[in-house]
Amino acid sequence: MNQISVGQAGFFGIGAYSVGYLTVDRGWSFWVAAPVGIVLATAIGIGLGLIALRFRGHYLAMATLAFGLIAAGVFHAAPFLGHASGITGIAYPQAGPLTISGHAAYWFAWSVAFGAAVLSLNLLRGRTGRAFEAIRNDELAAEAIGIPTRRYKILAFAYSGALAAAGGATFAAFLGLVNPDAVGIALSVDFLLMVVLGGGGLVSGALFGAALIGYLNVVGHQYDNWREVGYGAVVVLCVTFAPGGVLGTLRRFAFAGARSVRSAPRTVVTPRTAPAAVRVRPAEPLAVRGVTKRFGGLVALDDVSFVLRPATLTSLIGPNGAGKTTLFNAICGIGGVTSGRIAVAGVDVTGWQAHRVAALGVGRTFQNARLFAEMTVFENVVAAATDNGRVTFASDLLATPGSRRAEREAAERARAIIARLRLEHLADVFAKDLAFGDRRRVEVARALASDPWLLLVDEPAAGLNQDERERLNDDLLALRDAGTTLLLIEHDMKLVMAISQRVIVMEFGRVIADGDPASVRNDPRVIAAYLGTAT
Amino acid sequence: MLQLLVAGLTVGSEYGLIALGIHIILRATRVVNFAQGEFTIVGGLVALTCVDVLHLNMWFALAGATLAGFALGLAFEIVVLRPAGRTGEAGVTIATIGAVFVLLYGHALVPGWGSNPQPLPGFGGPATGSVELAGATVQVQSLWVFALLIAALAVLYLFFERTYFGKAIRAAAENPLGARLIGIDVNSTRAVSVALGIALAAYGGTIIGPITLVGGAAGFALTIKGFVAAIVGGLESPIGCVAGGLVVGVLQVFLQSRLPYDIADPIVYSVLLVMLLVRPQGLFGRRDAVRD
Repeated sequence: MNQISVGQAGFFGIGAYSVGYLTVDRGWSFWVAAPVGIVLATAIGIGLGLIALRFRGHYLAMATLAFGLIAAGVFHAAPFLGHASGITGIAYPQAGPLTISGHAAYWFAWSVAFGAAVLSLNLLRGRTGRAFEAIRNDELAAEAIGIPTRRYKILAFAYSGALAAAGGATFAAFLGLVNPDAVGIALSVDFLLMVVLGGGGLVSGALFGAALIGYLNVVGHQYDNWREVGYGAVVVLCVTFAPGGVLGTLRRFAFAGARSVRSAPRTVVTPRTAPAAVRVRPAEPLAVRGVTKRFGGLVALDDVSFVLRPATLTSLIGPNGAGKTTLFNAICGIGGVTSGRIAVAGVDVTGWQAHRVAALGVGRTFQNARLFAEMTVFENVVAAATDNGRVTFASDLLATPGSRRAEREAAERARAIIARLRLEHLADVFAKDLAFGDRRRVEVARALASDPWLLLVDEPAAGLNQDERERLNDDLLALRDAGTTLLLIEHDMKLVMAISQRVIVMEFGRVIADGDPASVRNDPRVIAAYLGTAT
Repeated sequence: MLQLLVAGLTVGSEYGLIALGIHIILRATRVVNFAQGEFTIVGGLVALTCVDVLHLNMWFALAGATLAGFALGLAFEIVVLRPAGRTGEAGVTIATIGAVFVLLYGHALVPGWGSNPQPLPGFGGPATGSVELAGATVQVQSLWVFALLIAALAVLYLFFERTYFGKAIRAAAENPLGARLIGIDVNSTRAVSVALGIALAAYGGTIIGPITLVGGAAGFALTIKGFVAAIVGGLESPIGCVAGGLVVGVLQVFLQSRLPYDIADPIVYSVLLVMLLVRPQGLFGRRDAVRD
């Protein structure tokens, strides 16, 4: 998720010391001790993840650094962990009659690494990986399509903690000893080095980097100092000239365009009718009751109330600063409200987190089209077509048939929606490369992918040309006819008057008019708000 | 008691200067420089060369180390931070960790520096002199450290508040685009900011050199103490960074006088985590500074 942890050695140490302490001092079997270490590291990873939720960027890096240092300190200071000399005489693990030492130990370590790589690949290829990617690209938009970003961040910490602990447990069994220096902050730095060299963001890259550094450490033994200076210089060069690392860079040259294959359907897709029409529709998709929102002394929303009827298109208009987008945010669970209640489909969602509101059937687009820039159009839509309400960690990790089926269904849904909005030709284009008008339409597609009852569309026509406006017009009406309830913020009066059944006018955070387009157009207060009064 | 306090404030001065350098560089470039402590070590070693090879006195050695730090900082910005910055924030941070490797292991390869700590002569006399002060024995060099810390802060204050270039740096740090639009060369304000930050590190490494020795592999630990100091005082507040350094120095010395070394340091580090949880903006920072 584009965040660096400088404390991985702490988790590695937890795994290594668990094996050391439990096998040597307690006489446990390695096969019990190692899982205990991994579970312990996972638990601590969850704790660290909870802490890390509060920070970004520098502060997060420092929090992880502090964790690594404290862990190293505890290993040093805890009396039962042998202080500076650590724990020695850890027996090789027994597998039945076989003692895992010598060559067997190599094979064992490699299988642990290979197993971890397979699991990680499963995880990162599936829903979880896509959620990570979405969060990395745009956290707020990820929440808005129903991804529980907080849970995923904690998951990332817990999983990486478990992996590092597994590595540490293997290391301790392999070397037969563990001491504080072996799991100090220098090791965290080594880990970072491996990832950067091999290729950040790639499982194979991390393994390749680990192998490379491990090899160089052994081969370059007599070139002490020069070797490390070389590592440092290579890291700087790598970050600057080959941010993908060795493997990432190779892959870019070797398989340019490999990614584009992914959206091609494997089976013939029968375009489905709008699924929303099939479902039982709530009688009251949205009810806003007395909502007030203050930012310090500024009242952005002042006692706003209205109820939307199903399968209608309502426009929300008003001068800049009237509070329209603030109202959208309040409905979606971004920012909360000062007082008042909001109910979606009869469920009170006041104070809910955004992803829960989204999961209830609320889709939205943003004024400035917040797509996941580094993902293709298809991936953007699939991310939302996935059932994001559940974190399917275990089944993704093992790539169970259920997980794979859910993946196929999400892909199919995404293709259907892309077809419905006539975006097929753009499916494999990266979102950052899209033209402005297409970006908006892709955002609508993404919002639709989670199959919402209620769609909040924030200034969809801004910056579109005449052709694009007409197409948008058609799209919105088709959605309404298929049973979706739409709430639209728009400044283009021609569009608003042409397609809305109802228009709500806001000024200074208050609703000043509410009715059908014709009556609103003639309302003297609306005219005054837009044109000013002649005094 | 007073003796411990003075000792704490002395090492704290170094931490404060490191934290201040981290703050200046962070302000200007949005980069957390993990190599700050290594530059402190290199600065002290440059002073050593000035004394041993060029036979200068400590005052000229201090000037030489500070100037060398400034030059190294310019090079660091142009060769490492600026190119790496094009690939994003995480990338630059990792690049500074790469620089740690180069400096940490590289300095040991320089003839005359080596990997073991070495002594420096004192300012205005031998490094070992002491005076009686309110019933406590205080090293003369500690007093010099305080004086030199205050002098550096005064110069920095005047530079940032009174000179055109200092104001330009602050403007560019606040809003790079706006600064560009009014004709400030943001590339050069950035380079100078980083150079100033590194010069401060070198200066700090030299003024404390007579007391703590110079060189060795302690650079990364210094960086971390600098982080703790900055978080305690407030990463976004210059005064906070210095004050945080003094607090951390005193805390560390008091803990070390009561507890074994390998327990005292982790406690200092856990202050970092505790502060992040309880008051992430630091003792002197404002609440809204945290979520960047």
